[in-house]
Amino acid sequence: MDYPIWHLAFGGGVLIGIVAIAHVLVSHFAVGGGIAMALVETLAVRRKDAALRQLAYRSSWILILVSTVFGAITGVGIWFTIGLIHPTATSALIRTFVWGWAIEWVFFILEVATAVAYVATWNKVRPRTHLLLIWLYAFAAFMSLVVIQGIISYMLTPGRWLETKAFWDGFLNPTYVPGLVMRTGICFFLAGAYMAFAALREQNGEARGRLVRLMAIFQVVGILVAYGGYRWWEVALPDPIRALFLGDAPKLAALAATRSFLLWALAAYLVLVLFALLAPRLQRWPVTAVALIAAFAFFGGYERLREGARKPYIIRDHMFSNGVLVSDIERHNQEGILTHARWAAREDDGSLEGKGRAVFRAQCASCHTLDGYLSIRRLLASADAAMVDMILEIMHEQGDAYAGGALPDTTTLDYPTMPPFVGTEEERRALGVYLTTLVPAHVAEVRHGR
Amino acid sequence: MAGNELIPALDPMPVPGPLWLYHVLWVVTFLIHILLVNAVLGGSFIAAWAGAAKADRRRIVELLLQVNTWAIPLSITFGIAPLLFVQVVLGRFFYTAALLVPWWWLGLLGLLMVGYYLNYLAKWRLARGEGVRHWLVLQAVCFLLVTLIQVVVNLLHMQPQRWEAAAAGLAGALADPTLIPRFLHFLLAALAMVGAMVAWVAVRRAGTGVAAAERSELDGMARFGVKFALYATLLQLIDGFWLLFALPEEVLKGFMRSGPAAMIPLTLGILAGVLLLVFLAQVHDPLAQSGKARRALELVMAATAVMVITRHQVREVYLAPARAAEELVTTAPWGLIALFLVIFVAGVATTVYAMVRAATDRPAPGEQAA
Repeated sequence: MDYPIWHLAFGGGVLIGIVAIAHVLVSHFAVGGGIAMALVETLAVRRKDAALRQLAYRSSWILILVSTVFGAITGVGIWFTIGLIHPTATSALIRTFVWGWAIEWVFFILEVATAVAYVATWNKVRPRTHLLLIWLYAFAAFMSLVVIQGIISYMLTPGRWLETKAFWDGFLNPTYVPGLVMRTGICFFLAGAYMAFAALREQNGEARGRLVRLMAIFQVVGILVAYGGYRWWEVALPDPIRALFLGDAPKLAALAATRSFLLWALAAYLVLVLFALLAPRLQRWPVTAVALIAAFAFFGGYERLREGARKPYIIRDHMFSNGVLVSDIERHNQEGILTHARWAAREDDGSLEGKGRAVFRAQCASCHTLDGYLSIRRLLASADAAMVDMILEIMHEQGDAYAGGALPDTTTLDYPTMPPFVGTEEERRALGVYLTTLVPAHVAEVRHGR
Repeated sequence: MAGNELIPALDPMPVPGPLWLYHVLWVVTFLIHILLVNAVLGGSFIAAWAGAAKADRRRIVELLLQVNTWAIPLSITFGIAPLLFVQVVLGRFFYTAALLVPWWWLGLLGLLMVGYYLNYLAKWRLARGEGVRHWLVLQAVCFLLVTLIQVVVNLLHMQPQRWEAAAAGLAGALADPTLIPRFLHFLLAALAMVGAMVAWVAVRRAGTGVAAAERSELDGMARFGVKFALYATLLQLIDGFWLLFALPEEVLKGFMRSGPAAMIPLTLGILAGVLLLVFLAQVHDPLAQSGKARRALELVMAATAVMVITRHQVREVYLAPARAAEELVTTAPWGLIALFLVIFVAGVATTVYAMVRAATDRPAPGEQAA
């Protein structure tokens, strides 16, 4: 709100989604893959099984090329992206969890160093040392998940942190453990899904069947754990969030559809994996690829659901998605939003329309584009000035509901996924004028004609 | 001061911990990061320059690709900590600077990824006896651009008075008289360090009793490294003064008035640079003067260390007017800080132990390797 606004035609939220989902699909493999490779190589050493050793060897290259390169850089990429799209929220997260992130960073050091050393020391060190490297890697990677889960889940369910502002209250929030269980399951099944490709490279048919079955076991275990964790996560959610996508009449149909999609994707994935488990010799790479896509669909769907369920907040019950703090509503209503939005205020050329444009930049542009993603022009295509005014008035009144002490159940509001309008009466009027200029002329004429 | 009206409001949340601790951790982690960055930047540049046509040059390229296999991921990882601490202390300046060049800032990651993958590609091609020159040049260009973007964002975050012009377009973001000397300062330091490192590795390898043909290649490698380090240091001394006097007048005066705390590291840095130059100029036969290569590497790293302190102090002077009225509220979550420090020490110790073991543990004759 108080920063320069980056105008992206496809929307900042979409960019965050692309970077974040690309990252988690790889980073969770990095965690699960570490554990899976450690187990596979341990078995290979104990049983003197050359096929298992080759599986660990081939998988270690996937780990390096996919996880430590793409995964590591997209991980930093999430930080870069949220800093560009939501700098206020990023700053708040950093101030709250800096020491959590610092601890995670220590695990990253161990993770990266052992990953590179693991790949570099095949055929060079004794098996015990090699196993030590991969087990250390697995431990460090899992610990990085243990840490980051506290921060991710806090954004949806900050729990007692809202009153105490204490690190541990935010970190050990109501969905921390269920989410961690679910993500652990995802790590396992992604490990199996990625490493299944390495298993298929085995030349010996009998050995290939064994490896495929082993990877299928990983995936079945992962799917069951992830499903259990997901259900637990749903139960742990506060009622207003559950009401968005659960029950007979979910408030947000799109989120309910996402939930349905992800569960069906998981079911389809389970069927494909059971096929690999029961008929490993028949397994071919296209089936493995479809299984991986189904795994991605479940996980991507979940991330979409989690992000969507947070609306209209970016940190639930604390900060709205446009960076306005719940505690600042009254202040902004009295002092005006533009006195606190320096960059957006540059758009104010003194005219009512200019002021409205500035208010739009400050409050709306972090989610809405003019013509691209969540296009404001398209959303208002059938509105006229009176309707725009009415919408803004309702949204302003929603602010009173938030500012009134106890936070409202967002599902009871007229615009449950939108932050309230905050600002002075003049700013609201100006925004109305500006938004009306975006409505196609013929709509306004027709309305006036009527 | 003009331009300060665009500085976003201070984050209302308190800073969790004393500011001095953040500054110490920031400088220390940045030093490790920049040493690794030097290896990546200087290594990719020198590898591209050297090519792999001749045997001694091929040795250099092999070495630098191998070093970068480690240095690239570790430099990224060690970059996370200073990135974290700059956001705690100077978040509102840093975010704004990045937002003024958002596509470049985000594009940095793409360049990093391409550069990283090219390292593996070049290693793979070299092992197969295929040409690598073009890929090495492309890799060097990627890392040079990453450095340039970092310098641009760093300069912007220190100078709110330039934000208005930067918001108008890329030309405004680049219009800083210290941009080129500052960029060259990083590049030349990286070249000097990697040049010295190449010479040191060659000297070490030659010391293990090698055949005459190999010794000749190592001699060529060491001479190449010394020459690169020498020319880079010579240019660095010129560029260093260019950078110093290109600083805005009030920053230069403010820095000079900062007293011994600022003057001592600066003087030590310049002294280390001059000493390095004298040292390298005396090396006529690097393999025979084996200790000199190591001393040169130590000197260039020492110069980098004190210059990191100077860089941090110059930033404080740059930002002093914009932060004059800033009142950061801090809390003291000592339990959490202690937890971090314990995990940090344990994590670093475990990493060092694992790396030493990976480097030294070798199977006995007849024993199976992993």
